[in-house]
Amino acid sequence: PAGPGGVAVPRAGLKKLTLPPDYSGITIPEKPKLKFMDKVPAVPKVQREPRRLRDIRGPSQVATDFTQGQYGILALGGGYLHWGHFEMIRLTIGRSIDPKSMFAVWRVPAPYKSVTRKSLGHRMGGGKGPIDHYVTAVKSGRLVLEVGGHCEFGEVQPFLARVAQKLPFPAVPVSRESLQEMRQKEEEKRLDNQNPWTFERVVASNMLGMRKYLSPYDLQLKGRYWGKFFLKHRV
Amino acid sequence: AAKMAALGGGGTRWRRAWLPALQLLRRGSKAVTRHWKAMHFQRQKLLAVTEYLPPRPAVPPRCLPRRSPERHEEDGQARVLRRQLEQALGDSRMVAVCHYCPMPDEDVAVLRHFLRKHDIHVKFVLNEVGLGSGHEIEGWGLNYSTAPTQTGVGSLQGRAVPSQRALGSQPIPSSPFPGACIDNTILSRQGVENFARLPSLEVSQGQTVAALSLLPSQTCSLLQQGPAHLTALLDEHIRQLQGSGAATEPPQG
Repeated sequence: PAGPGGVAVPRAGLKKLTLPPDYSGITIPEKPKLKFMDKVPAVPKVQREPRRLRDIRGPSQVATDFTQGQYGILALGGGYLHWGHFEMIRLTIGRSIDPKSMFAVWRVPAPYKSVTRKSLGHRMGGGKGPIDHYVTAVKSGRLVLEVGGHCEFGEVQPFLARVAQKLPFPAVPVSRESLQEMRQKEEEKRLDNQNPWTFERVVASNMLGMRKYLSPYDLQLKGRYWGKFFLKHRV
Repeated sequence: AAKMAALGGGGTRWRRAWLPALQLLRRGSKAVTRHWKAMHFQRQKLLAVTEYLPPRPAVPPRCLPRRSPERHEEDGQARVLRRQLEQALGDSRMVAVCHYCPMPDEDVAVLRHFLRKHDIHVKFVLNEVGLGSGHEIEGWGLNYSTAPTQTGVGSLQGRAVPSQRALGSQPIPSSPFPGACIDNTILSRQGVENFARLPSLEVSQGQTVAALSLLPSQTCSLLQQGPAHLTALLDEHIRQLQGSGAATEPPQG
């Protein structure tokens, strides 16, 4: 009903109107969609390389922070991405984003590591098998993908979550703020831990001869990693 | 130790070619496996001992008093509405407040017309606009916690009596009528009804004047009538005084 001043008084209470988000500092690059990744790297000489599983183990030192985009997918475990994964990601993101107002950027290189397979049904021995396919190694804490543009986290999260679920390692969609919050919470957890005995302390001073049962890598990994797995609940 | 021995080079010719007695070099699975690699029990015990323990405050948070919901920042629209409300209430001498019940629009229009004939302006006000400036608008304490979203305010600008009668006889069955604020005094429903039954200002003024001037008028009429009645009254008065007590002196004259 209208009040005497002519101002219409709403029935269910006043609306709290918020300002629309400000996208002034964000420029969308020329090719907003994800680049096509090759199955095989363009190498002059194909070479079989040793397995070197340590490229999966432990925390990532590269590509841990955002560069261009605002939202991304964070890997919470180690694993290998092969061409099938890349195609799935490229097509899903290409379908879900609007190229005029959003863009996506790879944070992992194209497959570079050769993986060999012996033919099925043969016994051990006879040398190393031929190259089967190529993969990219991803360590935990690395960003796989970045998405940005004139969009909010709520719009981007559904399809990023779908992509994250299909990856061979556990992954979550994150935004800049949520990543910072995650790191801050981890740090707070580490600081207000009431347990006087921490894995780090026990390993560093070799209490009770524990290093007999632990790996020398546990000095750096500090009990948060086991193989390719990242133990989120620890410390 | 066996691994260290295998690494050692630079020994004599027949020591360099060396096969380990036990097959120690191919032992178990790698460090990084697809499956969850089995952990040594000592390591499991260590992980169990070094788990995270969250801090426990001395008083659990559920025993502490709950924080009152924080006041939201008022936005411009609410401020404008409140200013209008304050102006409207400041102008009028009498303000009646009642709850708003959802009524069909035509009923609302009929009611407003009916009240307007008796010079009563109806204004609908949202609770958050009215309650925010709580103690400044005096009649608002009436509607503190039990009101629904909206409150209807009748601001009365005319004479007291006919408006009161109109409000008393109005056909609003559903909306309860808590009270009114008349001339900076808060009155309840019974108070308003009693106020309506009071005689009007001129009548009461006349009555007061009449009460005050009763005695002088009587004296005036006595003096004007003639000395006979007056002397009779005075004799009567002296006889009464002499009858009651001899101590009192008879009046002079």
